[in-house]
Formats: sequence, C-alpha cells, structure tokens
Amino acid sequence: MAEQINGDSLLEMFIFETLQNTEQLEKIILETEKNGGFSDSTINEIFRIMHTLKGSSAMMSYSYISSLAHKAEDLFYYIRENPTVSYNCSRISDLILLCMDYINREIDKIKENNEVNFESPEEVIKEIENVLIEIIANRDNIPTNNIDEPSYNSFKVIFYFEEGCEMENIRSFSIIRDIQEYTKDVTYIPDNVIDNDDTALIIRQNGFAVSFRSDKSYSDLHSLFSRIPFIRDIDLTLIDIEKCTISDSPVKELQEVNSINKITKQQDNQVKTETHQSTSQSIISINVSKLDKLMNLMGEVVIAESMVVENPDLKGLQLQSFQREALQLHKIIVEMQDMVMSMRLVPLTTTFQKTHRIVRDMSKKLDKEVKLEFIGEETEVDKKIIEHLSDPLLHLVRNCIDHGLESEKERIEANKPPIGTITLEAFNAGSYVYILVKDDGKGINKTKVLEKAKKNNLLIKPESEMTDREICNLIFLPGFSTNEQVSEFSGRGVGMDVVMQSITSVGGSVSVDSIEGKGTTITMKIPLTVAIIDGMNIEVGRKHFTIPITAIKESFKPNKDNIICDTDGNEMIMVRGECYAIMKLYKQWDIETRISDLTDGILIMVEQEEKKRCIFADSLLGQQQVVVKSMPDYIRKTKIVEGISGCTLLGDGSISLILDAGWLINSEIKYKKEG
Amino acid sequence: MISVLIVDDAAFMRLAIKNVLEKSGFKVIADAKNGQEGIEKYLELRPDIVTMDITMPDMTGIEALKKIREIDPHAKVVMISAMGQERMVKEAIINGARSFIVKPYKEEHITQTLLKIASDS
Repeated sequence: MAEQINGDSLLEMFIFETLQNTEQLEKIILETEKNGGFSDSTINEIFRIMHTLKGSSAMMSYSYISSLAHKAEDLFYYIRENPTVSYNCSRISDLILLCMDYINREIDKIKENNEVNFESPEEVIKEIENVLIEIIANRDNIPTNNIDEPSYNSFKVIFYFEEGCEMENIRSFSIIRDIQEYTKDVTYIPDNVIDNDDTALIIRQNGFAVSFRSDKSYSDLHSLFSRIPFIRDIDLTLIDIEKCTISDSPVKELQEVNSINKITKQQDNQVKTETHQSTSQSIISINVSKLDKLMNLMGEVVIAESMVVENPDLKGLQLQSFQREALQLHKIIVEMQDMVMSMRLVPLTTTFQKTHRIVRDMSKKLDKEVKLEFIGEETEVDKKIIEHLSDPLLHLVRNCIDHGLESEKERIEANKPPIGTITLEAFNAGSYVYILVKDDGKGINKTKVLEKAKKNNLLIKPESEMTDREICNLIFLPGFSTNEQVSEFSGRGVGMDVVMQSITSVGGSVSVDSIEGKGTTITMKIPLTVAIIDGMNIEVGRKHFTIPITAIKESFKPNKDNIICDTDGNEMIMVRGECYAIMKLYKQWDIETRISDLTDGILIMVEQEEKKRCIFADSLLGQQQVVVKSMPDYIRKTKIVEGISGCTLLGDGSISLILDAGWLINSEIKYKKEG
Repeated sequence: MISVLIVDDAAFMRLAIKNVLEKSGFKVIADAKNGQEGIEKYLELRPDIVTMDITMPDMTGIEALKKIREIDPHAKVVMISAMGQERMVKEAIINGARSFIVKPYKEEHITQTLLKIASDS
C-alpha cells in the first residue's frame, strides 16, 4: 500500500470527496426547498460540508475554493449560532447552489489539469457577505455579562507563538486556562482574546503578555511553559508587585471563562447525545481503474479458457474426464464473469437525481411548474456507461421543459392538469437497459419537423414514404433544431444529435415517439456493459470478424432465385417479399477470397433502429462470448479504420475485428472494386 | 513509539494526517470516521494521543472529546480545526483538549505538537 500514499491518490480522494460533498449539498438544498425552510440539522449539515470543503481545499492549496467555502461556512455558522435570526431561505439556497456550481467548475478544471484558468469566486463571496450583513442587521441585540472582582500579580511572561500556527488568541486563551491551575491573579494583554479574533494579529506581532502570581519557581515555570505547543519563545521575568502596570481589568478573563462555561452547559443540554450506531463497514470504495483491470483480466481468462479447451493438440483425443472438468471450469468462469460485471454496476439513482437541479432552475426561470417523477431509478448500469448518460439525460429533460411542456395557461386550455409531468423511467430487458424520458406536453409537430428537415436538406427519402416514427427521429440529425428562438437552456441547434452521439458511443440507441397534444417519449436503449459481448464470428478470406449478436436478425444461404440485379449489375436479395441491399465485406475491404458468388457464402441480416441490411461473408465460425478490446494505439494513430469498433482474441489465438453495427448499416456500399 | 488515533470524517484528512505522522515515526494505531467510532476505538486501544476533527456529522469532535475525557480524564486529545472556528476551539479547550492544530497546517505543526503533548505528564 505504501506506494499508494502519494500526492496523486490524495488529489484523487480530494476530488472524489469534494464532488460527493457538493452532490450532498445539492440534495440538501433541493430537499429544503421542498420542505420550505432550513431545519437546525440541515443548517448544521451544510455548515459541516462547507467546513470540510474549506479544510481539504486549503490543504491542497486551492485557495479560491477554500476562501469561498470559508465565507459560506461563516454564514451558516452565524445562522446556526443565532437560531432566532430571520433570513430569506430561497436567497440562501440560490447562494449555496452558486457556490456549488463554482466549486464543481473548479474541480473540473483541476481534473483536466487546467489550473491556470481558475476564476476568482469574488462575486459569490461578495454576495454571501451581503446576505450575512443583512442577516446580522436583522438580529436583535444579545445581552451582556456581569463583572467580578480584581486582584494582583508577581510574574510577567511574554509568549511568542510559532509562525503560521493560527488562532493565536485562542492559543493564548488556552494558556490562560492551563496556568490557572498553578497561578493566581492572572491578567494579560491583549485582554479581549476571547471575543475579539483580531487580537490574533496583535499577538502574532507583539506576543502575548501575561502577569500572575504563583508559588512555583522561575525554572519550574519556564519548563512548564516551554512544553506548551506552538510556542516559539518565552520571555519570563520576575517582577515587583509595585511596578506591575500591565493590567487594566485583571479578572475579566475569569468572568469570560465563567460565561463560556455557562454557555457550554446550556449547549450540553440542547445537544441530545445521539449515539448513532456505526454499523461495521460493509461497503468499500474501489478505484474504477482497478475494476477495469479486473474486467480485462477476466476477459483474458475467458480467452485463455477457450484456448485451452479448444486447443488443436486435443483434436481427435478421447478426453472424457478432461471434458467434464472443462465444463466445471466454464461454469465457474461464467459465474465469475457475472460477479465481476455486477461489481461495476451502479444504480441510476444519482444520475436521475441530477435532473432535479435543472428542473428547479428552469421552472424558476421559465415560470413553468414541473413535476418530476422517477420510476425504477434503482436499475443498475455499468459505471463506464453511466458516465456517458448524465449529459444526455440532462439535455433531454431540459428539452422537455423548454420545448415539450406548455405553459400553465396553455395546459388548462388543452384540458390538461396545470402542472406538467416529466417521468424518468428505467428498466432492464435482456442485456439492455431502457431509459425513458416522458413528458405530457404538446408533443412533436410533425409538419414542422418535416418542413425544417426539408429546409436543412436532411431528408433522405420521399416525404410520403416516411413513417411517423421516422419523422420524429429526424430531430436527432446534426444541425436540426425546430425552435426558432434560441433560449438560455436549449435550442442552440446542437443537442439532440449530441445526445445521439453520446448514446451510440457506448453502443446504445435513441428513438423518439410522440403523439401530438399528448406528449413525447424518448427511449434510450443502452447495453448493460461494453466489455464482454456475445458475438458471431465470421470468416472472409483468411480474415476473421465478429458481429455483435444483438445486431443480427438472421443468417441464411441465399437462393439463386431471390437474388436480383439492378441496372448496374449490383446484387440485392429478396427475403419474404422485401428487398435488402447487400454489403460484401470482401469488396468493402478488398480482401482476397475464393468465395465471391452469393450462393457459395452466407448472408447475415443485421438490424439497427429498424434499418436492415444483409452482409455477405464466406462462412460463419460460430457464436462466442468475446472480450472487446480497443484497437492498439499504434494502429489507431496511423490509420483510422472505419467500421471496426474494436478487436478480440478468438479461442485459437487468432485476432478477430469487431464490426460496428451502426457502420454496417449506414455506411456507403462499395459495389465495384476500386482501381 | 507514540500511538495515535485519528478521528476525522474526511478520508482525505485521515490519510493526510496519517502520512505526516507515520513519516515522523508515530504509530497510527487506528482511525475513525466519526465521533462514536472514535470513542469506541479509544476505549479499545487507549492510544497515547487522539487527533480529533471538530466538525463531524452526528457527533461533533467536541462531544466526542467530552466522552473520551469522561472515560479517561487524562486522555490527550488534540483538536484539528479550520480557520475561523475560534469559538469551537475555545469550547474544546474548556472541555480539556490539550491543544489544537489549524488547517491548513505545516507538517511540523502536527509532529511538534504531538511530541510536546506526549512528553507532558
């Protein structure tokens, strides 16, 4: 473990905890808004979070974050210590959200190592100060204390504190308390160390002067004093009683101590001694990179297994007990694989909850009240995929509120409940997770979509042939935005296509269904994991390829009668009365093979988003679980290979390229050999 | 070797303090992520010194300090405070904290303070 304790892991933990804290803060604020006010415990909680943020960011020398958190902490400290003050709840909520946004932005920069661009939190700090000043102005005066009797002294000592030890006044206070045990009649300068924190500065410069009487010897005192922490130097002198001129109000400090004692006793009674049973730790956090590594190793095991079991040396041998043990091994490996996979799964809850904020902000700005509902937020998805989900989800919700939901007036006119509802739903189906974003707004205006698509030249087939669904899905094309007015939140013309990109990058797909006047549902279909897939291995010439099983509809030997040729001599295939284009892999990539006639090879029909196409290959090698590995860097750097989403190792040790289903369907077919 | 128990709700701070102490030859025998756990570990392990964060959820460092001092009136507890927590620190001192360290601290602040306090009878 020793090598782990270094600057990097500290930074990592700092980022991790800070983000957790800001998330927690956001949750608190949003809950508070629902409940209509801060309770004592939430104030305490916010204070504590700000405090932690301040401490750790200061430790990491992110002084901007630290100073902001400090100010916010001051504010909540004040509110906590003065529970009777009145303040504007929603203003404070806004303020805290502002702080959080700032901190999140800075953390992003820290993550990207973009530390030169730190912005100053000055404005937010100003704002917090203003609020604090207002609150203090609202406050009633607080009663003061009584006074006791004065006394004498015979020693004088000046304590000098170490540089940078901070809170010199409190340290002085601590000294006063300590020496009280063996001294009498203590007086000191500055005399208001307790309630004036500015005295810290004076003490830092001039030292802390104390005079007292004691029956202890000079050397005893000196050695006692030198054991006080953070003391740089002590100037102890024995003085005559007559010459003593230090004090002006000698025992004020005693009275201070008394009053503080009283306060703490009161607080003792107030603070209920809640003894939360700390359940023994059953959850540990693990670095994702370790999980990635484990997953990789798991993949290696899967490959190694098939390399052993299908080893050519074993061919033709009668190996009954070997086969039995191999089966057992296979069983364990599959179970292990499920386990490793499940370790990477994270519930969608936090991702869903992030939308609360955008709903809050937008309903405030646009004056549309919105109800947000979650169904199945406990559904789990691979950690890697979740990272790609959060932005699209926020974008979709934003779109729903901005474009989908009508204003309250329009809703009442349309005989709908005045408050619009957005529902986020998630459920598992096979090796996919479906995430639905539903609104009960005005739906998509298909004529408008068509018009817009025509204007932007986005139509690829005649209007009359398009289904409603196809029309709706036009909104995912790059450069499409029906909203004429660009609003603050959405409608910049980038957007839905970005959603599409994000989701397809993890192997998912997006589609939209809409009924005009009733609402819109956007469906995201996302694979549970990206690391291990079921694939169909095929052969073209001496090359191996793998097609994800999920993309395959069927495979078949074509019948000569069903092959049709167009005027250019390009072949197509009729299947159950429908005509499909054929992509010949050997032509696409110029692969040498003896099989060029359709009837000699095999056709594999692939489907994605209701588009189908037939792929021509020499033969099928069989179905297998394959571990997706990204292309090695040296290949990616030198050549961009279209249509390949990764590679994998087959049981016999040969390399197979994994074909990208989207590319298989959408890329241009090369009919003629080039050159 | 001086044995230390670190009580802090932030894993980051626990790690940071532990790093400093172990480098200087202290023995960090345990850490605790909240006051309750801190008290339990104190009872069990009786460390020479406890470093105690002031603000923690559920039970503040000051509450934990009080409980520990009830169990063992000679317990040596050093508070870990942040800038601007003067009042809390005062309260801690009144309740028997031996000293306090203000974040952001220098490494020698921690080690010097703990050394001095450990040598103190």
